[in-house]
Amino acid sequence: MNIPVIQTIATVMWAILQAAGMLAVAPLLKTAIKKMKARLQGRQGPPWLQGYYDLAKLVSKEPVRSETASWVYVAGPRVYFAAAVTATTLVPVLVPAAPLEAVGGILLLVGVLALGRFALATAALDTGSPFGGMGASRDMTIAALAEPALMLGLFTSALAAGSLNLGVLVRTLLEQGPSFQPSDLLAFSGLFVIVIAETGRIPVDNPATHLELTMIHEAMVLEYAGPDLALVEWASAVKELLYLTLLVDLFIPAGIAPHVAPVALVVAFAAWAGKVLLLAAAVTLVESTNAKLRLFRVPELVSISLGLAFLALAIRFL
Amino acid sequence: MTIALAIRLATIALALVLTRRAPLCRGVALAGSILASLVTLSVAVGVLGGGGPVDGVLLRHAASGMVLGYAVTPLSAWFLMVLGVIAIPVAIYSIGYFAHAVAPSRTAAVGIGFNALLGSVELVFAAGDVITFLFAWEVMTLATAALVATEHDERASRRSAYLFLVMSHIGTGSLVAGFFALAAASGSMSFSTMLGQSAMSLPMRGVLFALFFVGFGVKTGVVPLHVWLPEAHPAAPSSISALMSAVLITTGVYGLFRVCAFGLGVPDANWGLFFMAVGALTSILGVLYALTQTDLKRLLAYSTIENAGIIVLGLGAGMMARAYGNRELAAIALAASLAHVLNHAVFKGLLFLGAGSVVMATGSRHLEQFGGLLRRMPWTGLFFLVGALSISSVPLLNGFISEWLTFQALLLGFASTPGLVRLNFPVAGAILALSAALAAACFVKGFGISFLALPRSAEAAEAREAPMTMLAPMAVLAFVCLVLGLFPGIVLGGLQPVLASLPGSQSGRALLGGTMGLTSGLISSPGLGEFDRVVPAGVAIAMLSTLGLAAAFVARAGLAVRRAPTWGCGGELSARTEYTATAFSKPLMMVFRAVYRPTRQVDTLAEISPYFPQEVRYRAEIEPTFERYVYAPVVRTVLRIATGMKVLQAGSLHAYLAYVLVLGVLLLVWLGGTP
Repeated sequence: MNIPVIQTIATVMWAILQAAGMLAVAPLLKTAIKKMKARLQGRQGPPWLQGYYDLAKLVSKEPVRSETASWVYVAGPRVYFAAAVTATTLVPVLVPAAPLEAVGGILLLVGVLALGRFALATAALDTGSPFGGMGASRDMTIAALAEPALMLGLFTSALAAGSLNLGVLVRTLLEQGPSFQPSDLLAFSGLFVIVIAETGRIPVDNPATHLELTMIHEAMVLEYAGPDLALVEWASAVKELLYLTLLVDLFIPAGIAPHVAPVALVVAFAAWAGKVLLLAAAVTLVESTNAKLRLFRVPELVSISLGLAFLALAIRFL
Repeated sequence: MTIALAIRLATIALALVLTRRAPLCRGVALAGSILASLVTLSVAVGVLGGGGPVDGVLLRHAASGMVLGYAVTPLSAWFLMVLGVIAIPVAIYSIGYFAHAVAPSRTAAVGIGFNALLGSVELVFAAGDVITFLFAWEVMTLATAALVATEHDERASRRSAYLFLVMSHIGTGSLVAGFFALAAASGSMSFSTMLGQSAMSLPMRGVLFALFFVGFGVKTGVVPLHVWLPEAHPAAPSSISALMSAVLITTGVYGLFRVCAFGLGVPDANWGLFFMAVGALTSILGVLYALTQTDLKRLLAYSTIENAGIIVLGLGAGMMARAYGNRELAAIALAASLAHVLNHAVFKGLLFLGAGSVVMATGSRHLEQFGGLLRRMPWTGLFFLVGALSISSVPLLNGFISEWLTFQALLLGFASTPGLVRLNFPVAGAILALSAALAAACFVKGFGISFLALPRSAEAAEAREAPMTMLAPMAVLAFVCLVLGLFPGIVLGGLQPVLASLPGSQSGRALLGGTMGLTSGLISSPGLGEFDRVVPAGVAIAMLSTLGLAAAFVARAGLAVRRAPTWGCGGELSARTEYTATAFSKPLMMVFRAVYRPTRQVDTLAEISPYFPQEVRYRAEIEPTFERYVYAPVVRTVLRIATGMKVLQAGSLHAYLAYVLVLGVLLLVWLGGTP
């Protein structure tokens, strides 16, 4: 066999491994946030493996679907899941390279996630339930408002590294060594707000509520049950892990394995897990100390983030 | 080219002869059109394939020595190719569509209008001199107006056509003025000499730029010259709307390219900046207005404005790059703009054809009257979904490719342009991101409300799938969306000769594309050698395999799916409990209320107590800002002047003779003073 074929096979194996790893870890992150939140409220919280138990329970249930729904309703969660999992292969996790970095960079990542969102929002309109429509409408509204801030925040880092490719970006950051730029702080704050908005956390959305008027993401997927719901839940968890990993990559890449060796990989895994947990703790703190914003106050929050991102760009390059 | 025009003329003559035999007339007109489009398409592909420019003479006037001719440059060929790609499926669609949607007595008129429109657009793209261009431009305007007024027994149609004519003639007026000034300066009527140099002084160039911007901007539909577009596009029969949105706006874009960007010498950086600003404003306002529409065809028309904005934005970035002498960046930006011309034509044509089938099946254009159409019209629904995904610029489809290219242009523009002015690029990027995300929201609504859940009217419940002649062209266009989205190298291959022919742009290694993917970067700027790359087919494979994984994971339990009614919140689930199109866009309408200035009126009719209403009337509208604050004062002023002029035009012959006499004397006095 010649070299390119071997390389392709290796890349594919690596992509599969990374996607599988992210899929495996994602429910744990969800539980970790729940646990930290419970501790802050003086409760014990769920057992560490609760995320997996929930998924296992949902998968083993009988699939129930609405009589009015068409194939779009069935396709929605599957495309959403596929988009989230595919996106995980576009970000570097343990080594300063993404498995599919030859396929695309930041724009593709954002685009793939947008495809998943489009599929799920469309599917939500399919049951005829007013909740689906309400959730889809609100989810698309918030996503649309968050998009420019997300893009500007990502562009700031990308332009600093001279590439929109996440692998190249992380490698450039590592080469430059640990350096503190005031713009990083601004860009990080801006992106952190967006990550909260995109992952449906308080103060933008409340993942724990099923109260009619406050649901956003939960309203959108209210009609889903059984295995379909399992896909949605799992994909949402993967998406959250993905966004936190992205923040880690862009702002605190230190600790990532410089070369593929068992020890380095173990260290990199520990560093990555620690950094993601740290960010998760920040998310938990925000969620525990804030009240959910009214839907029409969210644009203000997002425009603050847009302003921060723009300022970051301006002071970094002018 | 001559052959194509001859076929069109012969078709028009035949259609005139066959006026009384509607089915035959329809067949002849559309078959002739397809044939002519094929001829033009082959010419265009020949030029793009490296055959070099094609030119020829249409008419030679011996006495004055004036020659009217055509010259297909690579840029013209690109636009002709886009036209051919759309015109052929639209003509096939029309065979089925006109049979149902156009009254037999009007078939000949519509068939002739169809050919006249396409022929004149071809000639606009191919014209080699000013006279041919303006003649074709005017025929195009008149043919469009006639097609818009197809249903001329309706007042709204007549009004749309009138508005279109007025706006178009404002544009044509500025074009005539601009071209005559150019011709006087260069001493030639031929485009190749006239647009080749920049002998003019800067203030004069600025005036000419403004004139041409108005002239071509009207057709492109840029804000604030867009007011005719959402009226005229929906009024025409749907297949004509598809042509108008997909192709007619590109005549304006062609003009902006040919004259504003490359005909007045090296463009000023401020011109590029102006185009970027106008493009960004157009795209965001277009999509915001599209969001709140509940008329499907108006929604699509407003979304055309948005896409015109994106095209102009790319062109503006290209002009700035050219002004700064950055040839690689110019190539990327122009490629983005030209690729979006093609991509928009394909998916908007597809969406308008889909809308046409829906309107034909339900007899309504109102989104709130549709619902559940996917069950009744599965194929139309599928193709419409492909179009909706494309226009939302998600990966795997063609809309994503041009969005990706535009982002490359904007980001590389930021990275390689000196000075403060470069901050405009990321601002434009943020606006582009917002427009794209809003377009996704808009088309989740457009597709979801129309095709999913329960039928909202008896007509929607009884809708029937469109015939094969209408489905096949949609299938072709949907397939093109997918192919261009998965293999973007094809588009780039076609664009290379165009980019090579445009002065001040050099693709070189800035934009590389094989069959699979695209790579962008600026070799000339340090550190930006390879900026980004995209291989959509790779993502497609990854997504398909994960989809398979998801399906396997879910199907593992092997349990049969149980169907149950949707929970109707305790009440009975019906079309009236579904989320409506108005409700869907309500949050965004609230967020952007500064733009919309919405007004709402709720009347409750009750006899006994307000808690037991017998009837609730809800009325909501958004303020037509441009019509009310920009055009209304202009119209008022013009009317006032006209009223004032009535005094002069008293209708008395004696008075008119006196005017002639006075003018004659004045002229003699004036001219008498000069030797």
